[in-house]
Amino acid sequence: MKYMIMMFGGLGATMQTRTPGWITGMQDFMMKLDSELKEAGELVAGHGLADPGQAKTVRFRNGAPVPTDGPFAEIKESLAGYWIVEAGEDRAIEIASRVVAYTEYPMEVRQVMHESADL
Amino acid sequence: MNAEHQVEGLLRELAPQVLGTLVRRHGQFGACEDAVQEALLAAAVQWPAEGVPDRPRSWLLTVAGRSLVDGWRAESARRRREESAARDPAGREQAADPQGASHRPADDTLVLLFLCCHPALSPPSQLALTLRAVGGLTTAEIAAAFLVPEATMAQRISRAKQHVKNEGARFELPAQPERTERLGVVLHVLYLVFNEGYTTSSGPALHRTDLTTEAIRLTRLLHRLLPGEGEVAGLLALMLLTDARRAARTDADGSIVPLAEQRRELWNTTAIAEGQALLTRTLGTVPVGPYQLQAAIAAVHDEAPTAEETDWPQILALYEVLAQVAPGPVVTLSRAVALAMVHGPKAGLALLGTLDTDDRMTSTHRLEAVRAHLLERAGDTTAARESYLKAARMTASVPEQRYLTLRAAKLRQPAPPAGPAS
Repeated sequence: MKYMIMMFGGLGATMQTRTPGWITGMQDFMMKLDSELKEAGELVAGHGLADPGQAKTVRFRNGAPVPTDGPFAEIKESLAGYWIVEAGEDRAIEIASRVVAYTEYPMEVRQVMHESADL
Repeated sequence: MNAEHQVEGLLRELAPQVLGTLVRRHGQFGACEDAVQEALLAAAVQWPAEGVPDRPRSWLLTVAGRSLVDGWRAESARRRREESAARDPAGREQAADPQGASHRPADDTLVLLFLCCHPALSPPSQLALTLRAVGGLTTAEIAAAFLVPEATMAQRISRAKQHVKNEGARFELPAQPERTERLGVVLHVLYLVFNEGYTTSSGPALHRTDLTTEAIRLTRLLHRLLPGEGEVAGLLALMLLTDARRAARTDADGSIVPLAEQRRELWNTTAIAEGQALLTRTLGTVPVGPYQLQAAIAAVHDEAPTAEETDWPQILALYEVLAQVAPGPVVTLSRAVALAMVHGPKAGLALLGTLDTDDRMTSTHRLEAVRAHLLERAGDTTAARESYLKAARMTASVPEQRYLTLRAAKLRQPAPPAGPAS
């Protein structure tokens, strides 16, 4: 089974009040977890996303796709990065819980759909 | 150097020569390129185990030629028609080559380089094709270097080859004035390969040494083929003088160390000496170009025993020439830094201000990062912090984001003691 673990909370809104020590610690923690998942063979894919301030939204307007800047609002709730892991639900929740315990940002765990029949 | 490394070095050197010979003979760039890759793979497996054959180049030619013929046999009649059509340009080759062409293997390498940097291709395709056809890297190696799945890179390369074919590109050096123009593209592609390795534009690792080394190897090769081209020498010098600082550019945990804070005893003095010697031989003998000027600036930095002893007035003067020869927002940005070092941060900030309305600067974090540094030097902590954070939000590079966020956090007013929740 594959699960996508999504982290929310962008840099801009959430980093401004943190100390240099906290930021360094968080980066170390993320890198350690990343290599741990890689070494265990659990990591399928994972990336951090650039700040949502750089994002574009393409909307269907008046019968045509129109790209616009943003979304700028609700930056705290925007996707900041994700891991896809080859693991059961319990393990995926465990991984997410470890991150949440450090960052205090919410994470979402969703199963990735697949082509084979469910047994 | 062990046997495997020696074989690898030899294969990389022979790859473009063998490909060049095959394309001359058969005219099909795409199919020949595939055949050479197969031969390289076979050699990489057999040679370290069984020893390098007496005539390695002929060995590769035979194996690649056989694989090419096998490919044709397996193909449909449609493919065979294409083959005969592609043979045709070979017949016109003599007429198109006024020098009579002795067709040394090295000439073929040059022609290949020009072909892979065909202006009809997008820069990512030019890069990928150059690394495979001229650099002799496998698709898997190129994919790993650019952090994309192998299937993606395979598709990119195969499309690039198709594109070159559709453009009707011939296996010959373009005539003047196109040749000079195309050399500019070749240099730019090599510069991009170097930069991609030196400052990765995204992802966690700041250096991808293989790409830097490969860019230097290919530029060195090009310099050997075109020793009289000042900009080729300039680019090679620029790469050597920049790469010389590699070991000092990141600290133990992979964070960026700015030039001023680098431990200069870690710099590679051999590379610096080679770059300086190249520049000395080149400057003044040919028209000065942007790569030579950038190399000269890098050399001034490399010559300073400490950051404080940097000859900033000379760097500023060089940037002023560069702004004449090749004006652009990136040059203005660097000139602002030099200006600030010579005449103070306010002068630098004023020059930066002229870039605020430049559209080419809206999608890069560099303007904001430089502004943040200058504001910090001017003592405007609040504005500097805002600029650092703005720059951090704009970059897609993990190490650069980490560096900028930390600079901002260090400028924060010490908060009064409070509860654990903030």
